[in-house]
Amino acid sequence: MSRNFGDREGSNLRRPPLAVVLVAVVVIALGETGGAAMSRLKPQIERYVAARVAANPQTHGLSGSAEYDDEVRDRAVFAVEAGLSFFHTHAEGVGLIVFFASSLVASVVPWHRARTALYVALTAGGLFPLGYLVYGVAVLEAGRDAGIELAERWVLTPLGSAAILSLVGLALAIFLTLLKAQEPLE
Amino acid sequence: MECPDLTALATMIPDARTPLHYRLPPVPVLLSAVVLIVCAEVGGASMVRFKLELTRWARNAMLARPAVHGLVGVRDVDERVLDEALVKFDAGLRLFHLHAEGMGLVILATTTVAATLASSPAPRRSIIALLTVGGAGYPLGYLLWSGLIPYHGLERGKTIAEWLVWIPFGGATIVALWWLAGLLALRLCRH
Repeated sequence: MSRNFGDREGSNLRRPPLAVVLVAVVVIALGETGGAAMSRLKPQIERYVAARVAANPQTHGLSGSAEYDDEVRDRAVFAVEAGLSFFHTHAEGVGLIVFFASSLVASVVPWHRARTALYVALTAGGLFPLGYLVYGVAVLEAGRDAGIELAERWVLTPLGSAAILSLVGLALAIFLTLLKAQEPLE
Repeated sequence: MECPDLTALATMIPDARTPLHYRLPPVPVLLSAVVLIVCAEVGGASMVRFKLELTRWARNAMLARPAVHGLVGVRDVDERVLDEALVKFDAGLRLFHLHAEGMGLVILATTTVAATLASSPAPRRSIIALLTVGGAGYPLGYLLWSGLIPYHGLERGKTIAEWLVWIPFGGATIVALWWLAGLLALRLCRH
């Protein structure tokens, strides 16, 4: 079946594979649930973070001076809350991006292999918000700076790059399809 | 006998098969989502356009209820309390703007998925209803919170908004989303 623009015009929007739709819906659901949990469990989260910081004094560079340690603890709480907040906002946004972009891939990209590659990259990119959960946990377990670096290097950067590549690939595929559709018939 | 078009057959979507094309959710659902997005846009624009008027109104309403806000009549103390309440008042309006835009899109996307991939009519209708009502109602909680701050104070305003709007409507959305995710996972397993 041809997937040229000419054939697509006026036709219904196709849906991507079930697995991609599932990832989009789960990421949105996680974002919603994370936001609700963040709001309802704020004091408990703060207490847990403070307890983890106290349990890892060397990792967080606690000195024994109450004033300095309070500042370190506050910074850790702030970083963890920022991670959760970014998780909530990114999960909602990225879930929608995966849904709409993968529907465009299904509807517009005529080449099977290109579609598969774009689905894989989009799905990997859809997991990007989970990097902020890793960010929150890593700050607690590895210390603020080391944790942030770990999450950025091993999770956020690769998954974010996958999302960017998939969207660039989609734009390129649309452009090529457009060029192909404008070629005169021989 | 006329031979049916195979492409048309493949997209006719009998309940047992996974449809290839999206089905649109009912028109009232689409309308709710679009109206919500319009409200978000208008809310965002109004917030900027009437910032001074809104702040003045909230400040006057708070000054008229000193006991609610713990105002003591000492300018240095009261100004700090009023500033904090005004920051939250503004934050409520901003969060309404952000959430209404986001939830409008979430309603469009998730009800489309439900309309297409939830094959049994009863769960499909329930999921779509929960997603629409929950998604459209939830952002209004932020408007309510902002409106309540001058009259009931920060914490009481938040508690009222939480129990009247955020918990029931947000809860409906969360339940519907996980229900939909469960149905999709089940469908994927069967494949």
